[in-house]
Amino acid sequence: MIGGGILLQIDFIAWLRGIPDWLYEVIRWVYGILYALFTWVWGLFVWIWAVVMDSFWFLFKAILFPGLIFVVLGIIFAVWFTRKTWGRVQARRGPYHMGKYGGLQLFADAIKLVAKETIIPDNAKRWMYRVLPSLLLIAVLIPFAFIPWDNNWFIADLSVSLVLTFAFLTVVPVVSVLAGWTSGSKYTLIGGFRAANNQFAAEIPLIISSVGPAMLAGSLSVMGISQAQANFWYIFLLPVNFVTFMVSATVIVGLVPFDAPVADSEILFGWRTEFTGIYFTMTYFAEFAKQMLFCALMVAMFFGGSYGLPFIPPVLNFIIKFLVMLFFFVIVTSSFFRLRQDQVAHFCWRWLLPLSLLNVVGAMLAIVYIPGLAELLQLGGG
Amino acid sequence: MSVNILDEAVEVWFGPQHVSAHGWATKLTIVGDFIVECDPNAGYFHRSAEKCLEFRDFRQGALIMERLCMLEAFLAEYPYVKAVEKIAALEVPERAKVMRTIMMEASRIHSLQFWWGQFAAELGLFAMLLWPWVDREYFLDSFEELTGSRHAVSYNTPGGVKYDFTEKSVKMLLRALDRIEERIPTFRDMILKSPTFKLRTRNVGTFTAEQGLKWGLSGPNIKACGIPMDLRKDDPDPDLAYNMCDWEVPITHSEKHPGGSDAYDRMVQRFKEIETSISIIRQLLPQVPEGPIVDPKARTKTNRLPAGEAYGRVEGTRGITTLWLKTTDKAQTPYRAKIRGPCFSSYYSLKHLVPGSTFADFIVIFGSLDPYPGWWDR
Repeated sequence: MIGGGILLQIDFIAWLRGIPDWLYEVIRWVYGILYALFTWVWGLFVWIWAVVMDSFWFLFKAILFPGLIFVVLGIIFAVWFTRKTWGRVQARRGPYHMGKYGGLQLFADAIKLVAKETIIPDNAKRWMYRVLPSLLLIAVLIPFAFIPWDNNWFIADLSVSLVLTFAFLTVVPVVSVLAGWTSGSKYTLIGGFRAANNQFAAEIPLIISSVGPAMLAGSLSVMGISQAQANFWYIFLLPVNFVTFMVSATVIVGLVPFDAPVADSEILFGWRTEFTGIYFTMTYFAEFAKQMLFCALMVAMFFGGSYGLPFIPPVLNFIIKFLVMLFFFVIVTSSFFRLRQDQVAHFCWRWLLPLSLLNVVGAMLAIVYIPGLAELLQLGGG
Repeated sequence: MSVNILDEAVEVWFGPQHVSAHGWATKLTIVGDFIVECDPNAGYFHRSAEKCLEFRDFRQGALIMERLCMLEAFLAEYPYVKAVEKIAALEVPERAKVMRTIMMEASRIHSLQFWWGQFAAELGLFAMLLWPWVDREYFLDSFEELTGSRHAVSYNTPGGVKYDFTEKSVKMLLRALDRIEERIPTFRDMILKSPTFKLRTRNVGTFTAEQGLKWGLSGPNIKACGIPMDLRKDDPDPDLAYNMCDWEVPITHSEKHPGGSDAYDRMVQRFKEIETSISIIRQLLPQVPEGPIVDPKARTKTNRLPAGEAYGRVEGTRGITTLWLKTTDKAQTPYRAKIRGPCFSSYYSLKHLVPGSTFADFIVIFGSLDPYPGWWDR
C-alpha cells in the first residue's frame, strides 16, 4: 500500500495517465462544435454570395445608384441647394463655413441632430412617437423605386407604379395627423389637421393632372409614360396640367405659399413641433425626399424623362432636368405670402381641379383635329 | 337639446415661448379653427423701467427710456429729455433742434423698416425678412458713426444733443436715404400688389376710426383710418424743427372700409410714413444752422432740479409716447416718472379685434398693429 495505509477508491496513476485522452476528447468536442458552426456560417455566406451574384445588378440598383444611398445623398444635396438658393434670395450667403461652399454643412447638421438628446413629452404616446418618423421616411422613400432615371437605371417597373406612388404618398398626411395627435400638444394637433387639410385639398387635382400623361401614353407606369415621350414632351401638349400638377405638389409637400401645416409664425412647427434629435431629422429629410420625388415625377411625366440632349448620357439628362425643377420649386417657395388653410382648399378646388380637367379635354381635341400629332405621339400602338 | 359650442373650446397660450411671441403671452380660446376669446397678458416683459428711473439722475434717465424700445431709440428717449428740460428751464440751441428732428425721423424709418420685414416673415414670406433689414443696416451704420452705437444711441440729452454731426455721418445718412428711396417703391409694389398678401390682409383686423379712438390707438394705426392725428402737426413742439419744412400728415383712405382700416391699409399707411420721414430729413439736412449743440448751462442745471411737474410727449413710430415727471425740490432723481407707451392700447385692442377670426389670422392682426412689448411692460 502506498501513502500510509489510505485506500484510494480509484487507481490514481491510471487516472493521471488518462488525462491526455480526456483532454483530446474535450478538444475534439469543442472543435466539432466550432467546425459545425463554421461550416454553417460558411454555407450561409456561400449561399448569400450566390444569391447576391444572381441578382447583383438588382441589389446594386436598390442600394447604390438609383437606390437608397443615391437618394439619401440626393436629399443632402437638395437641402444644401435649397439653403444656398434661399440665402441668395434673402440677400445673405447661406452656409459657407463647413467645407467648400458649405458643402459639408449638412453632414455637420446631421451629426449635431443625431447627437442631441431625444426629449419625449409626458403626454406623448411613446411607442407611436418613436415609430412614426421612421414610417414616414420609409413611405416617402419607397416610391423612388419607380423613378425611371434611364431606360436601364431603375429599380422596379410595375404596370401601376403611378397609382402606387400616389398610394404611398397618401400615407404621409395620416402619419402627420397621428404624429400631431400622439405628440400630446395642442399646436401639433392643429398642425396635423392642417396637413390633412392640405392633402384633402390637393390630392384630387394632383391625380387628375396625372391622368393627362397617363392617357396619352396609354400606361399607368411611370416608366411607360417616360418612354412614350421619345419624340414629343407632354409639356407642350399639357402645359396647364403641368402647372396644376406642380401647384398641387407644392400643396402636398407643404411649401411656402401653402405651408399652413408647418407655419412657423402661427403654430410653431406644426405637427413636427415636439420632434427632437433624430426624429426631427427624419421628418425633415422626409419633407425634402417628398419634394425630390415630385420633381422626379414631373420630369418623368412632362419633360420627357431621360430623353433630351442626345450627346450626354440619358441619366445625366434626367438629373439636369431634375435640378432645374428643384430650383424652380425653391424659387416659388420664396415668392409668396402664406395662404390660410381655408384659402388653400378654396384655391385647389375652385381653380386647380377645373383647369386640370379642361386641359385633358383640350389635349384630346387637339389630337383629333391637328393632323400628324397622333403619329408623333405614337398613339394607337403606332 | 341645445349645443353650446364653448363646451369644445380649447385654451391655447400664444407665447411666451412661441417663436412669433418674443417675450409676450396671449391666451386664446379656440373652437375649431376660430378664436372666440383673446386675453392679452401684459407683464411677461416687465423690467420695472419706471422704478429704475427713480434711481437714475436726470442725465442718465434717457438711457433707461431708450431701452424700452431699441428700434426707435431716438424717439423713445425724447419725452424724458423734454420733461427734464421743462422743469430745468433749459434753452435748446437751434442747431440741436434740427439735428434732433433729423435723427428722430431716421429712427422712425429704421423702426418701420424693421417692422415690415418682420411682418412679411409673420405672413410666411420668410425671404422678405432680410431685404428691408439690409437697407436698415445703412441707417445703423450712420447711427454708429454719429453716436458710437448701433442701437443704444443715447443721443438726446437735456438741453440739446450729445454728438455733433460730422461730414462722414451726414454722408452716411444721405447714402442710407438714397438707397431706401431707390428700393422702397419696388418693395411697396411687390407687397401691396401681391395677390397672396391681399388674400391674407384684406378684411383682417378691421376697425373703424371711432373704435380705434375709443380703444386709445394713435399713430399709424389711427392715421390708416383716415384721421390726420399727428402730434408733429397738432402740437408743434418748440424744441423740434417740424415747422421748418413743408410736409403733410400721411393718411390712408381705405377703399374697402371707408372710415376704418384693415391690415392691408395699415401696411399702406406705414409705407407712406416712411416716405414722409424721408422727405422731412431731405428738407431739414441743408437747413442745419451753425452754433452750439447743447445748452452750456445744461450740466449744472440738471444736477439738481427744482420741484415741479412736467409732461413730455412725442409722436413715436407706433403712436403717441408720453412721460410725466414729478420732482421734489433740489432733487437728484425723479420723485415719480409715469410712462404711457403707445402699444399698451394697441395690444389690449386685440381683445376686441381678434375674436371671430381664425387662429392663422391672429398673428396677422397682431403684426399689423405693430406693438412692441417694451412699450406695454414698462
